[in-house]
Amino acid sequence: MKKIILSAVIAAGLAGRLCAAVAEDSKIFTPYFDMSLNEAAYVPSVGNLFSGGNINTQVGLLTKITQKDHLFGLYNFNYAGPSFAPQDSKQFTDRSMTHSFTFEYRRNIGEKWRVRPGVAFSSDYSRTGANEAWKNGLYNMKSSGLQLAADYTFDFERNGVVSLTYLAKAVEFPNYTDLLREFKGSGVASELSGGLQDQGIKQVSLRPVWGKWFGGFTYTQQDYKNQKVVDNTGVYGNTKQQDKTTMIDGGFHQKLWIFELYPMVSYSVHTSNQNFIRYKSLGASPTNGGLLDGTSDVTFVGKNYDYKELTLSVPLDLNITGKWAIGGAINMTNRKYTSRHQRNSNNDYVDGMQKNLMTTMTGSIRKRINETAMVRLYYGLTVASSNNKFEKYMPGNYTGNTLGLSYQLSY
Amino acid sequence: MKKGFNLMKSIIFTLTALLCFNGAAFATIDWESKGMQIAGEIIANPAGFFYDFQQDLESTTPLPPGKVFGIQTGLFPTTIPLTYTNVSGKLRLHGEGRIAPGVPQVDLIGGYWDMLAVKMATKDSDTIDSAKFGGYYMGAIVSSSVSPRVRTFWGYKHSVMAAKLAFKPGEEPDFMGTTVNSFDTGFKDDFVIAGIETPKGVSKLWSMQLNYGLKTQSITSKISWYGKFFELGLNIFPEGVLVIHPVWNFHLNF
Repeated sequence: MKKIILSAVIAAGLAGRLCAAVAEDSKIFTPYFDMSLNEAAYVPSVGNLFSGGNINTQVGLLTKITQKDHLFGLYNFNYAGPSFAPQDSKQFTDRSMTHSFTFEYRRNIGEKWRVRPGVAFSSDYSRTGANEAWKNGLYNMKSSGLQLAADYTFDFERNGVVSLTYLAKAVEFPNYTDLLREFKGSGVASELSGGLQDQGIKQVSLRPVWGKWFGGFTYTQQDYKNQKVVDNTGVYGNTKQQDKTTMIDGGFHQKLWIFELYPMVSYSVHTSNQNFIRYKSLGASPTNGGLLDGTSDVTFVGKNYDYKELTLSVPLDLNITGKWAIGGAINMTNRKYTSRHQRNSNNDYVDGMQKNLMTTMTGSIRKRINETAMVRLYYGLTVASSNNKFEKYMPGNYTGNTLGLSYQLSY
Repeated sequence: MKKGFNLMKSIIFTLTALLCFNGAAFATIDWESKGMQIAGEIIANPAGFFYDFQQDLESTTPLPPGKVFGIQTGLFPTTIPLTYTNVSGKLRLHGEGRIAPGVPQVDLIGGYWDMLAVKMATKDSDTIDSAKFGGYYMGAIVSSSVSPRVRTFWGYKHSVMAAKLAFKPGEEPDFMGTTVNSFDTGFKDDFVIAGIETPKGVSKLWSMQLNYGLKTQSITSKISWYGKFFELGLNIFPEGVLVIHPVWNFHLNF
């Protein structure tokens, strides 16, 4: 019935999203439409009740020019509203909106090979609890990129395909500025603090799919165009910031009688040459042994952003009847910083590295309205814990309840 | 079906029990501050607040296949309780596949509303000097069947709303420590619409759509169920003051 099946695993944005789309033999144009909506109430143990939603709309068209040449275009709108999020990632009240366009040309070479060059453009808006206009968001972002991908089919019977993808993107943050630097150097050259987040992204991924199994290896490198690395003397040096992330992930989709299980696991290692200067309070100056003494009011933390992260997701659906299903899921994000010490509630560094854990358990009822539409009512219990007890700006330790409703229509 | 319903009841009961056991985490809801926050958001952007209700009465789905024109009026929350007296119309310009196979259906859409309570209040009130709350919209919807049971639709609408209110001198109300003399605000934007429609039963349809304002970046998602006479819907305004609007509209299509 559905003529294009998009892969559930979106690995490298542009790369993973398109490779599984398939044309129906008899048609020149094959449309794709997927719309999902999720709205929920969130009650955290820290802070007040809030509501948040997520809207995702994908509209695509696959054009068969000849038997061997296909053209695929996809527009994706995504709105991500307030929600619980893993510690150190975003505030509950942050929202974002993304428009992205992707165009891909596909050429089959022989029976087993296919190449997919493509281009992608996206525009991101961000908004904080301050409710600034969308166009003024500090972290608004524009990106454009190129992709080159190759698929090799190694098992036709069990749909065994391995894809190698290279992606290069230029990312600009037109509104971003370092507010602290602007305050310090007001009237001098404040505009120089802009463009600090601008970066080039390169990504290589290798993703095999074989029957019910899928997995992948992804390496991402972010080269900042202007942001310099802060040295242990407390001033910015000449080296530009560079971040690297290596991720391996895998999972399967298994149906057994009325049970439907689709677990996924991923492990990533993030490194950055950027360091961090912790000011214990605004206007603090070095005390005790100076910057390099961990007990100083102004402390240098080398490799502050390096971490290793394990994420696990185990959704299970019990298909009671053709229409009704009960679902349960466990999601876990476990992040361990390799060089950042934990902090006590007084913002002092103490022994031991910082560790964050966020676990969400979800129970849901799903009703399938027809072959294209479904609705789900769900309740989630989130437990977030961290040994970082300094929680003045972002809560690290809280319990949260979520009650939500989601709709999905896809064709 | 009945079995499914009983099952659903027991699951809802279980979820409710789970919520109760977890009561400790609910202890912090501060309804008073939530109310103040909502009132503050209305004052900060009254046009946005009133415009969300205009979207409740806007009819942005295509005419059912075979119908040539249609009329609609919003019942809840527009006429009742907000007294948005309103009428909308649709006119089919082209039936799907008429000129040539594959050429989509094209409908013109439009509508007008006026807030009756404001007119009455201005006439009789000792405090309100002048007021005008009203708006209109117009646009077009293109729809195309992608299978016997699925129709996608695309559209454009131009939406305008005016909200003006002035109090008589010496009668200005005090709101959260600020004296409100008057406000003169409005909303105007061009929207793109994308949606999908699928049958739920005999003469009953289910649709989901996104309305996106190009200048204001306002986002609306509408889910609706409609038959011959009535439409029930849930309109979601993720950035609005009241995020979820349950909607009830009456329509006739010929």
